[in-house]
Amino acid sequence: MDTNTFASLAQVQILLVPVGAIPQATFEKYASGIRSFETIRLSDIPADHKDEQANRFMPSPLSTGSLQIRFPTHPPPQTHLPLSLLRPSHFPFAVIGIASFPQGSSPDPLAAQLDAVISDMFPERKGLWPLRGVRRVLAFEEGDNQTQSDDQNQNTAPPPPSVSVIPSFMNNKKLYIGTLVADLCSQILTSFGTVAASLESPVGNEYLNSALMPQLLLEDVPLPLSEGTPSRPDSTISLPPSSSQPEFSRPFTLSAAPGTLKRTSTTTSPYRQSSLMIPAAKKRISTIGMSSPLGRLYKMLGDFYLLSGRTEEASKWYSEAITVLKSNSDNIWYASTLEGLATAAVIDAWSAGQGLHSSTATAKEPWGHIGEKLGQATALYHKTSTPDFETASLLVYLYCLCVLRHTSLYFAIWSAKGWGPLAFTAMLHPGPKPYLPPTLAHDGSRDWVTLERLSHISNVSRSTISSILSNLHGPWLLHLGPRERIAVLESTASIYSSMGFKRKEAFILREVLGSLMDLIVCGRDEDGMSQPNGAALQTGGLGIHNMTPGPNQSWGGVGVRLSESVRGNESILFVLKYLCRTLGINLEAVKLHAAPEDPSSISDSALITQYEQEETEVFQEPFGWPELQVGIIREAVAVAEALPDYPSVAQFSLSALKTLRPYLDADDQDRLHAKSVESLRVAVRRGDQRCIEYWSGKPVLDVTLAPLPTIRLPIEKPLGMLSSKDNSVPLLLQGGTDPFLYNPRRAQAGKTTSLVVQNEPLEFLVTLTNPYVFDLELQHLSLSTSGVQFETQPMHYFIPANSTMDVVLTGKPVETGTLTVRGCFVQAPGGLMREFILPLNTAEEVDRITKKRNSLACEFERHKYWGIESFPWQKAGRRESTQMAIPSISSFKFLQCKVVPEQPLLRIRRTTITHGALMLYDGERSSIRLTIENISSHPVDFLRLAFDDSTQGPAQRALAEGDLSVFDTYEMEYKLINAPVFSWNPEEVKVIAPNQNLTLTVDCFGKVGCTNGTVHISYSYTERDESKESGMFYVRQVSYPLAVTVYHMLECHAMDIAPFPSYVNNADFHGRLKSGKRKDLALDDSWGWCLFSVEVRNAYGLPFDVTFSRIGDGKAVASTSTTIPPGSMSRIILPIRKIILPEEAINKPIPTLSDRQFVVAKSDLTKAEQKVQQELFWYREELLKSIRGEWQETGGVRSGVLSLRDQRMTMHMLEAVRLEAAKVELTLVSREFEEPILMVGGRYMPLPNQFVALRARVENLVDEPVVFTLDVDVDPSESIVFEGILSDVPLGRLEANEVRDFCLGICFLSSGRFELSAQARPFGIPHLEARTARASIIATIVDS
Amino acid sequence: MSHHLFLLSPSDTPLYSLTHQSLKPAQTVTSPLAANLPTWSTSAFAGTLTALSGASSATQPSTGSGPTRVGGGQDRHVIQMIANASLDAIEDVMRKDSAMYLKAVDKFNDWTVSAFVTPGNMKFLLLHESKNDEGIRTFFMDVWELYVKTLANPFHSAHTPIRSAVFDARVRASAKKYL
Repeated sequence: MDTNTFASLAQVQILLVPVGAIPQATFEKYASGIRSFETIRLSDIPADHKDEQANRFMPSPLSTGSLQIRFPTHPPPQTHLPLSLLRPSHFPFAVIGIASFPQGSSPDPLAAQLDAVISDMFPERKGLWPLRGVRRVLAFEEGDNQTQSDDQNQNTAPPPPSVSVIPSFMNNKKLYIGTLVADLCSQILTSFGTVAASLESPVGNEYLNSALMPQLLLEDVPLPLSEGTPSRPDSTISLPPSSSQPEFSRPFTLSAAPGTLKRTSTTTSPYRQSSLMIPAAKKRISTIGMSSPLGRLYKMLGDFYLLSGRTEEASKWYSEAITVLKSNSDNIWYASTLEGLATAAVIDAWSAGQGLHSSTATAKEPWGHIGEKLGQATALYHKTSTPDFETASLLVYLYCLCVLRHTSLYFAIWSAKGWGPLAFTAMLHPGPKPYLPPTLAHDGSRDWVTLERLSHISNVSRSTISSILSNLHGPWLLHLGPRERIAVLESTASIYSSMGFKRKEAFILREVLGSLMDLIVCGRDEDGMSQPNGAALQTGGLGIHNMTPGPNQSWGGVGVRLSESVRGNESILFVLKYLCRTLGINLEAVKLHAAPEDPSSISDSALITQYEQEETEVFQEPFGWPELQVGIIREAVAVAEALPDYPSVAQFSLSALKTLRPYLDADDQDRLHAKSVESLRVAVRRGDQRCIEYWSGKPVLDVTLAPLPTIRLPIEKPLGMLSSKDNSVPLLLQGGTDPFLYNPRRAQAGKTTSLVVQNEPLEFLVTLTNPYVFDLELQHLSLSTSGVQFETQPMHYFIPANSTMDVVLTGKPVETGTLTVRGCFVQAPGGLMREFILPLNTAEEVDRITKKRNSLACEFERHKYWGIESFPWQKAGRRESTQMAIPSISSFKFLQCKVVPEQPLLRIRRTTITHGALMLYDGERSSIRLTIENISSHPVDFLRLAFDDSTQGPAQRALAEGDLSVFDTYEMEYKLINAPVFSWNPEEVKVIAPNQNLTLTVDCFGKVGCTNGTVHISYSYTERDESKESGMFYVRQVSYPLAVTVYHMLECHAMDIAPFPSYVNNADFHGRLKSGKRKDLALDDSWGWCLFSVEVRNAYGLPFDVTFSRIGDGKAVASTSTTIPPGSMSRIILPIRKIILPEEAINKPIPTLSDRQFVVAKSDLTKAEQKVQQELFWYREELLKSIRGEWQETGGVRSGVLSLRDQRMTMHMLEAVRLEAAKVELTLVSREFEEPILMVGGRYMPLPNQFVALRARVENLVDEPVVFTLDVDVDPSESIVFEGILSDVPLGRLEANEVRDFCLGICFLSSGRFELSAQARPFGIPHLEARTARASIIATIVDS
Repeated sequence: MSHHLFLLSPSDTPLYSLTHQSLKPAQTVTSPLAANLPTWSTSAFAGTLTALSGASSATQPSTGSGPTRVGGGQDRHVIQMIANASLDAIEDVMRKDSAMYLKAVDKFNDWTVSAFVTPGNMKFLLLHESKNDEGIRTFFMDVWELYVKTLANPFHSAHTPIRSAVFDARVRASAKKYL
């Protein structure tokens, strides 16, 4: 490839070509050896004295200049031939063939091979250059030195003159080669003379002036040095027919005949040192070609002198040329002359500085005039109009070269820190690679300070260079052929790059890429066209559709690529990535990996870093130019597609989707995604090993354990609980309000790890998100777990566009222990699997992320760096703000489950209730049966039933509130504990073997207000080794909910207790009672009874039989029943025994059934009142124990109890029910001598006006001696006379069970009904004072 | 003759862009070199090249001067590329020169780039074809004032795209007046 060296005009090109079979490496080695001769001192060039005619370009032996040589390896293209006179330095003047031949073989055929190569390169032999004969084969002999003598012998036969054999044993090859090159240069200089001579001829001058870019086509120019054809017989002057203006269209040939040459040579002065002879020569030449101006000729001579290293002469000839060309306004030639002049000036400066070795700082800007000349030349080229395409192409090429020359002048000065040897080195550098000055060669030299220092030192600002260079760019670039265009643009890009103008470089690089891709695509088209159809059909199966991205091109057929070369693809992609990076696109945001790797091999720290990056990705500042980025991404994808490099297509598309998502519209997103999918598929089909990493950001937001179904949920219990004694306090009443404001245990309770069971399926809810407009396909989605082994099946899933959703992932832990869910494995189609870790949102984690985000939010939108330097990847090496540093942590807490051993599983197989509804009457007792089945392979050896119903909650709440009276609290607790809706008999439990059933009976009790209830069956398998090891067992629960309806039908009202009436003593009454229905009620003993009565109302629509029974010794001894029709009310009366409770029993406070603490007695009662309350309470309890109310459906089977607990007890009732302290018996007795008093129907019938005795017999029933007083009451007292006192009759101290009689004489004064009563009062003992015993009798006085 | 205005944030992201068609005739001199451009290839990549080199505008029928080029005839993408590329030159100059108005700081493909750098490192870029230094300076000052008013919005940050209709209308009015 051409390098546009500044001094290319002064450099003699010698083409290096490989000849014969020579490996590239070998060729490069020898070529670089030859290339070390960049300059050859003029004095080293051997003068050829054989032919004096052409020697005017030969240096004098003492001349000091040197010849600049360039050794390209490629000839200029055929299309550049028109430049052969205008720009001779563009062409190689000589050819060196480099050959290697094995030892012992003859190098002879090499000359012919070189000829063949050259004629192959320059097929039509039209070109002036390379000159025939100026060619040489350097045959390097390969092999060792031992056959030296043989070689010597073989080589005694002289090789062809154009072949120089360099034996392998030669020690100082370099010197030899140098000599050869110098010799070649000498030949070249000679040939310059020849050409100049032919041009000096009038005809030659005519042709020189014939066109804008004339060509001198030499057919078999018999150059003096080509010894093979010194004079060819057929070499005659074939001039076009006598026209002074040859046709432009036809290639003009000047056949330099020997005669012509001779003639010219005779007129040409044979001076070797023609510098002094310019006027003479001018005069002489002017006499030759009068018809045409000689400007171009002078310019040619100047060129030759410049090439010959004789700048002084060159400058003179150039000056001459300028004066002529300027007047003729021959723009191109004028511009070209100016360029030559500038080059000459630089060469001069170089040779001057060469000796001095110091920068010549005499003038302020010594390069000023050179720059001006080049600027002028640029302008001249710019002005020139172009007649046709071909010329235009070359003209633009010249223009571009001129601009580049101009730029490289300044660039060299700038990069070399000024006008000095370094700058000259840069400008004269001839090598095949562009010269990078040492100031820019090292890394880190592209920062602004370094570049700016260069500007400061050299006085050339970068913007100057840039503005000169920007002249190059314009629509005219399209005139250039692709090869030239790429070369020119590459040079431009490298200059911009060296100056640190990255964005301009990117601009140019896009054009370079465009040109390259154009060539690739067009080349492929041509290939495709050249394929015969048969081949296409044969390989149709393997052919791919042509991926040419031309939007309006449709490729109907099948494009066939036979062998696809991938050479160079990498470089093109590299350039692409580079320029995208400049514009702020990271095409490698999604990385390509050479081979699929195991996702688990990624270290935890890498995962954590990724996690943290993703957590804070929100704070990605926008950078770059989104609209441009989108455009370039499209192009990048198209380039990769056209190459084609499928993994790269996918990589670019996906990187774009990842990094540019906010800016890509729906169409683009769709297209890019479709492309990536398609190309990944193709890549796989083609066996491409590269894999793309997961790309779509973080698709997994959260993982949670789906709660287990309640029947499967194991509950951990310590084994000790089984052996401990049953708690006396029912569970129902435990755990009301927590007395502590902060209970650390309760705080802990919510955070325990969830329990899951071995070998049972687990469900995890994974929240996925897709921010794109297309459905995101996840080829693989599975949980990443550690700890115990977990069996799970990966899922294939499509996340719908623009949505967030939950997916259920199931799996099964197969061991016991701790299962840790780290996150998810995700894999997109054709990509690599990637693990996303999802730490728990613990308080610390949330705190840490918040802190980090806050710190980022603080720095957000504060830019210290701008432009390209603000891109995220530039931040890597910079110092971070230290105060914002958040310590990154190395481990996270993950979701954990405790896997417990396999557990049995029960189910309710059947029940006796239909529809799950239970209907009860208030107080009804019934039972239901539940049949449970063990459907697991483990036995159940622990079973407990617990119940819940709707009455419990309100009651518990009321209790918890604690503002009930002590009595109410007791009542409520009593109801909860002693009258539960459900109860069961624990005796029914037995071990349930696998697949066995067990029927349980649950007793139900109708309780008004109950609407639903639940039966909880807790079970476990406790007698196992695992439990013994861990000291824990696990309980599962089956619940059976019931709807309960309780009908309220019988109501009790107005409980009362009355003292027993006197007629009970009536024998008739007893007789009647005993013979009647209620014989149970008959009393054996008339004393110590009272009457219990209660009203029962039937509020229901059916009649009920109600029975109240007296309980004695735990069983009913007497009862009274009645049938209560609907809507009516009956009073039920039952005699009951009076009760006496011991003192200590009464004095106990009202108990609480729960062990609730902190029950503060809130009553503000006095002690006496409290005592009364306690007494009432205890007697009531005793009373309720002794009476049982029951009901039965009339004519039905349903029965239940009737509760009296709602009834209150009054003081009056208490007195009635309490047994007295003494037993008082009243009798009316007559005198001893008189007949006894008649008793009729339990009534005494004494005679009037007769004294009778009223005897009161008092028996002390208390266990201690008590003093009694007796009060006697007679009514009506006015009709009775009595003897003694009636009230406070002292009876004295009675021992326990002592009986004492007291007699009072009375006389009934009239007939009528009298009531006589007595009451014995204990005296002086406070707790007995209330227990007054009473008795009364009735006497009926009838007039006889 | 068209003008292209870009307001760039410090991270080179355009916050606002405007294409203004001036009624003044374009006075560009096309080089004879740019005439009779060949079409080498019809591939899309050649199209890129054509667009980037500015040939697509040059090959437009250049019969009328002003009105026919309404719409720019320019690839918007290329304009943006040029604006982006000129940032190199602007950054170079603004580090050395404290002036806010950098007139004709860069030239590319017939486009002259003038820039205005605010103290907050916002860059206003104007791509124009003809010389109108004073008008552009006034225009930039106007835009600056409008921008400062926009920035006074507490919800507006250095990276927030400007979508205010008022801002747009006033910038357009100013462009009409001065360009």
